[in-house]
Amino acid sequence: MSEGLKIGFYRPGPIVPAQSVAGRTLMLLIGIMTFLSCVTFGGVLLVQKSAVGWSADVGRELTIQIRPVDGEVLESNIRLAISLAEAIPGVAEARALSLEESEALLEPWLGAGLDLSDLSIPRLVIVRLSDPNAADITRLESEIAGIAGAGLETHAAWRVQLNTMAGTIVVSGILVLSLILVATALAIVFATRGTMSTNREIVDVLHFIGASNRFIAGEFQGRFLMIGLKGGAAGGLAAIVFFIAVGMAINAVMPEPSSAQLGFFFGRFALGLNGLLGIAGVVMVIAGLTAITSRLTVRRFLLQIS
Amino acid sequence: MIAFENVGLRYGHGPEILKDLSFSIDPGSFHFLTGPSGSGKTSLLRLLLLSLKPTRGRVTMFGEDVIKLDRDRLLQMRRHIGIVFQEFRLLDHLTTFENVALPLRVRGQSETSYRANVEELLDWVGLGDRMDAYPSLLSGGEKQRAAIARAVIAKPDILLADEPTGNVDPELSERLLHLFEELNRMGTTIILATHELALLDKFGYPRMLLNEGELVIHE
Repeated sequence: MSEGLKIGFYRPGPIVPAQSVAGRTLMLLIGIMTFLSCVTFGGVLLVQKSAVGWSADVGRELTIQIRPVDGEVLESNIRLAISLAEAIPGVAEARALSLEESEALLEPWLGAGLDLSDLSIPRLVIVRLSDPNAADITRLESEIAGIAGAGLETHAAWRVQLNTMAGTIVVSGILVLSLILVATALAIVFATRGTMSTNREIVDVLHFIGASNRFIAGEFQGRFLMIGLKGGAAGGLAAIVFFIAVGMAINAVMPEPSSAQLGFFFGRFALGLNGLLGIAGVVMVIAGLTAITSRLTVRRFLLQIS
Repeated sequence: MIAFENVGLRYGHGPEILKDLSFSIDPGSFHFLTGPSGSGKTSLLRLLLLSLKPTRGRVTMFGEDVIKLDRDRLLQMRRHIGIVFQEFRLLDHLTTFENVALPLRVRGQSETSYRANVEELLDWVGLGDRMDAYPSLLSGGEKQRAAIARAVIAKPDILLADEPTGNVDPELSERLLHLFEELNRMGTTIILATHELALLDKFGYPRMLLNEGELVIHE
């Protein structure tokens, strides 16, 4: 016996040998599952963040549309709409789109060099709200209705559609995450059963020398927890690298305006602190799932053979 | 210490392997269990090890009816019983020391609390200089002595041995039997299954003869 052993640095060898557990394959599988879970989680988080931001932006703006009506002076109706809107509490400002701005809006459909004076098209007043909750939209709507040819557009239908789409993506993401976790659990069950069969001799010997099922399950659980932690950490790290790489690629490949536009519509392709914490959470959940699933499988196996 | 009353055992819906076994074993006794292959020796040892329950009859150990014991109590009782196998059944990835210490380790004892005892026992069975060796490097005799040391390290009241001399030469068989005698003199009840007539004749302990599931005891 070496001196090192005698002075207390000695640790007994593991009862379940590391090489007897299908460790590398299982670790790779858990790594892949964790990566998929984290990418799904990150994607859902980005969509949700963008949808919330977008919905909030859209909710802060109303549009008054004023159509030209025979016998009415369009410019005076515009001024009336602006003054009515500005009198409503919660409205920060109201301003009419200039003819140039209106032309710019129609340019994609009607082409450049448009002269609006030739066309009988409605004019728009943009109403920006300082506090969407405090603004009395119903009152504004009824007052605007008093102006001939005027109507108020609250974008409510847009927001409902946007929220529905974002909600569908979030629910789909949760469903995908759940399926990945179930698939992971099933893979762990099969791997654990295989390991138990491979180590049946060790299990029998432990039983014969008086080991409790709890002790035996603990020995196997320890092995699987390590595999789960290592595989999960690798998968989580790969996901973080993926998000950083995709974010950098978008910035590098796309011209600045397009990148900014993409950022406006879909949010910045960056996870932020919440995303990183979420990925750490996914890793912990997968490691815990590995440990718990293997423990339950081992205990069930032990009960069956007892 | 051990009492069997009209005990029968069958696996599933198969034929009865053990039939109407009735006997008692006193504390501190030494019995040979013998009989032809397939006579049910291993099944009887498994009943004695509490890894099987009888399909009929009553088995009393340490004053308790084993049929009525729950899992935890069975585990507690099993810890009073040591077992030695013909094939040694040492764990190949553990050293001799670690194999022998295993029963104490599974009971939650720390390595520092049992190291001296394990070393002393390994010295006693003649493996003091083989503590760090892995089973693959031990001879058959050394493996069996390590297995015996593992079976007795937790000081069991009963030591069961299933053909412990089956894989060693006759000279070593006798030396192993002397080891069992020594343990018996220290108070351990021993039931040793063997079909080696030479050993049965040389060591004149009572014989439990099993034949086609029926038991006859020759005192």
